[in-house]
Amino acid sequence: MNVIKGVLKEELKNSLRMKRGYESAIKKLPKGTIVFRLIREHKYYYLVSKKKGKLLYKYKGKLSNEEIRKYEMAKKQRAKYTKMLNQVKNQIKFLRKSLRGKESA
Amino acid sequence: MEKNQLNLILRVLKKMYASEVLDNLVIVGSWALYFYQYYFHQGEYFPDIRTRDIDFLVPLPPKFKRNVDIPLLLKEFGFIVHHGGTKGYIRLDHPELIVEFLIPEMGKGRDTPYPLPSLGLNAQPLRFLHFLAEHTITIEHENMKLRLPHPAAYALHKLIIFDRRRTKDKAEKDSKQAIQLLQYLEKNSKDIREIKTIFSTMHKKWQKTVLENLKKLDEENLIQLLVKIS
Repeated sequence: MNVIKGVLKEELKNSLRMKRGYESAIKKLPKGTIVFRLIREHKYYYLVSKKKGKLLYKYKGKLSNEEIRKYEMAKKQRAKYTKMLNQVKNQIKFLRKSLRGKESA
Repeated sequence: MEKNQLNLILRVLKKMYASEVLDNLVIVGSWALYFYQYYFHQGEYFPDIRTRDIDFLVPLPPKFKRNVDIPLLLKEFGFIVHHGGTKGYIRLDHPELIVEFLIPEMGKGRDTPYPLPSLGLNAQPLRFLHFLAEHTITIEHENMKLRLPHPAAYALHKLIIFDRRRTKDKAEKDSKQAIQLLQYLEKNSKDIREIKTIFSTMHKKWQKTVLENLKKLDEENLIQLLVKIS
């Protein structure tokens, strides 16, 4: 039982570390989604984000393909990291519950 | 979780294999135990407990055919880089898997990570690892060639290090793994010969440590086996 408990404790420590890691990685990514408005056949870009439940549009003007790709990649990466973060949070819940559980006689 | 973890580990290994870095790495730690089932073939060996971390041993001197940025290579799977503690050992974290790199610590040792610029990371130097690097086997799995420590070397190494562990749980886990593996090997005469060969290559002081630790574990049969062959 000691071995299993030890492994669970170590895994909890790892999951807590990962939680901090993913939270910090998400924070470092540029926030928002890039959208454009077509005005006289020219694309003008805006960065859309949410603040206190309201949508904020930040004007970015004309962007190069490279910059657009950077925002799109960041969006994908954020979605991936958010999924991982949720997975880690579930693991933490599960591990804490397992470690609190009573040992059967 | 286990199926997802296994899928991920195979994807990671395939990616590293395709990048030609796996040829110069040895899988150590509890994942080596998982892969032993493909070495034994008989299908009777199943390790009972496995942690989330996979450790890759870099034999000295590190030699790689080409430069591969491993953190970048694994980023697509969602791995993030973690710089551990005050020394900055690099770990690659994923909810299903933790990837770490280890390197044998030689001479007076060092308390800083061993830089591996050709892999874009660093490795943690640890004592006694060269023993694992000296006795390796290669298995074929999923069209890949994977290097592992010989099971006898794995078990004997655990018998040297388990009482040096900081926590009791880890020491218990190490000793259980070693005994389980040696008892499995003991059933086969070819494997007994391998234990003999590998044990005889050990430094006398290490042999003594192994025997003393087996005594602490009350494993008289295994002591007899090793004494007979030493």
